[in-house]
Amino acid sequence: MASISARRLRKELSEIHVEGCPVGINLLSADNFEQWLLSLEVMGESQYPGEVFALKFRFDPNYPISSPAVQFVVDGKYTSPVHPHVYSNGHICASILGNEWSPVLSVIGICVTLQSMLASCKKKERPQDNDRYVLHAPDNPKKTRFHYDVDTV
Amino acid sequence: MKITIRHWHAIAQWRWDIGGTSDHDDADAEDDVCGICRVPYEGCCPACKMPGDDCPLIWGECSHVFHMHCLLKWLGTAASKQQCPMDRRPWVTAERKIAQPVAPAALPSTAPS
Repeated sequence: MASISARRLRKELSEIHVEGCPVGINLLSADNFEQWLLSLEVMGESQYPGEVFALKFRFDPNYPISSPAVQFVVDGKYTSPVHPHVYSNGHICASILGNEWSPVLSVIGICVTLQSMLASCKKKERPQDNDRYVLHAPDNPKKTRFHYDVDTV
Repeated sequence: MKITIRHWHAIAQWRWDIGGTSDHDDADAEDDVCGICRVPYEGCCPACKMPGDDCPLIWGECSHVFHMHCLLKWLGTAASKQQCPMDRRPWVTAERKIAQPVAPAALPSTAPS
């Protein structure tokens, strides 16, 4: 029998195909139910004009009961957005990906939240502990226990 | 004229009574999915094969409704912190109030004797 994640992701995928993605968000690849790639750009006035980022989602068979591992892609083509909550290795410190995950959230819902996180950025800078974190960061950002700031950046 | 019925198919339709939506039209039907698995309430959770009494719904006092199995799976994780996935308030299962016609005999008598 198909896993919970496959059933749920199949539904999300058909919703994307029927309704399309919100402005600034595009599906790059969803060939399986383990890893999806989506592109993300911030519309309107922002610190990131013309910049296009890619988000990598990794799902375990228990999604959406367990949160997906979400990070920005850093490779020859894409970079990590310079933002106080985004590390240069692409890891993101956002509470909805960690201790505030809810199974009613979705891939598109996460993209929209991260899009507005970038949109509301006032100053392009890396997290204070970027270098120290990136040096020892696990491959999977879900293994990191982020300390969430109370601000709303 | 004589008619012989060779076979017939009985067709029935059922819905969970989710309260206050008796005049529900089909336009709203899309919202009637479990927020966790996104399968309609009348369907069953991903772990079950047959919808119906074996895969019931569960109501919270916050008014949110899920497939019981989906919600229990979520509440079974430490990450849930025992909160409703919709509003993150502590999950409290609501007593199911089934609207039943009040029998006249059950009404308290107000006539003075």
